[in-house]
Amino acid sequence: MKKDLLALLGIILIIAVIINGTEIQSVDEYYLTHIDDITPESETVFITIRCDTILDNLDALDENLREFVPPDGVILPKTEYVLRNGDTVFDILDRAVRYNKIQMEYQGAKQNSFGSVYIQGINFLYEFSCGPLSGWMYRVDGEFPNYGCSKYELKDGQSIEWIYTCDLGRDVGAEWFNNLGGQNK
Amino acid sequence: MKAFSDYHPLVLLVYFLSVLVAAMFVNNPVIGLLALLGGILFCIMLSKRSEAAGNIGFYAPLFFMVAITNPLFSHNGVTPLFFLNGNPVTVEAFAYGAAIAVMVIGVMMWCKCYSAVMTSDKFLYLFGKAVPKLSLVLSMALRFIPMFKRQTHKVSRAQKSMGLYSSKSFIDKIKSSMRVFMAMLSWSLENSIETSASMKARGYGLKGRTNFSLFRFYPRDGVLLSVCAVLLGVTVAGIITGDTAFYYYPRISELTFTPLAVAVYAAFGIMSFLPFMIEVKEALKWKYYISKI
Repeated sequence: MKKDLLALLGIILIIAVIINGTEIQSVDEYYLTHIDDITPESETVFITIRCDTILDNLDALDENLREFVPPDGVILPKTEYVLRNGDTVFDILDRAVRYNKIQMEYQGAKQNSFGSVYIQGINFLYEFSCGPLSGWMYRVDGEFPNYGCSKYELKDGQSIEWIYTCDLGRDVGAEWFNNLGGQNK
Repeated sequence: MKAFSDYHPLVLLVYFLSVLVAAMFVNNPVIGLLALLGGILFCIMLSKRSEAAGNIGFYAPLFFMVAITNPLFSHNGVTPLFFLNGNPVTVEAFAYGAAIAVMVIGVMMWCKCYSAVMTSDKFLYLFGKAVPKLSLVLSMALRFIPMFKRQTHKVSRAQKSMGLYSSKSFIDKIKSSMRVFMAMLSWSLENSIETSASMKARGYGLKGRTNFSLFRFYPRDGVLLSVCAVLLGVTVAGIITGDTAFYYYPRISELTFTPLAVAVYAAFGIMSFLPFMIEVKEALKWKYYISKI
């Protein structure tokens, strides 16, 4: 019986560790984000979320997702947010979608081999929702950084665009993919 | 009494394949539930009463495990209940998890019935001539789990009767079952080699070899086969036209009740309850004849 008690203790310990590592928030708590007020001295950045490329590829889109594509393709129009010290592209996106109650799902930095957060879907439009080469990309001041959004630290006045691509970035002007060896098109 | 298993193996194979494929690949809750109910009823007819409690004890926790695991990994859906580490846990994910669980358990039930009805000799009768090696491997693989279970039971009973592992401690029980499992691994490897050697020694796969059991294709087999074909045709038509299409993400779509969709539900319902109805009919007939004596 001693062994059983030990095993029971072990199981309780594991459960306690798991519970300790999870954070449960109610829906209101999650969306209740504090947005700093913009003052003349504060550093700011701009963020836009768009999915116009889907409008050109509506045939490839799953039928049940039609209602989530805005008619003009703009999910979040260009908005200004205060830049806190050390904010990355992901921090700004996270704050913006919470403040505007836009659905977003991401894969944490520890869960993939890139060591950066990966955005799986915004506003119920997921990777692969509009063809096998579709997904979310971001550019800062018109350029596509070829690395994860939680590694890009922002500076004052930069403007972020989150864009949905249906063709691995080619349809939104990402050039770096074309330079990969042997993949030229 | 196994009235359904008296049908020709070809008919049985076509029947099981069409039910299994429809249950696995049609993403519609009505189809899933019908398959599950039909499978459970047929299983009840085939198995002993004493097994029922053990089965419920196994399948009910399995259902909840599958249904609860899905929302932890899938965060899509328009109705969040709460947020777990910054990701939403949604009603849609729970619904999809439940649907997957219904599908998995339904398919398991049908596979259970399949292994009870389609014995190895029937399988070899169908494919032994055309693809002898593949059919032997397949039939051995299909009967592996039930055989493994039976043998494990035997070994553990033998060990207990020798007075080993009689301790009530949970850890000791796990230890003893590990030991039995090790013995079973080597036994099953040896057994499969022995089986194939024995089949070879009996001239399996050679020309002119006859089958252990002979089956004749009676008119009633033709009737059941054509009924199956018609019902499967209706089901496939509904899938192709998209009348039975159903989505869980991001918003649960409403069930469609167009004439074709209703026809598909009815056709699949009949198909799924067919073996149960045949069993019940035969049982009633038997009772009736007995009462006449």
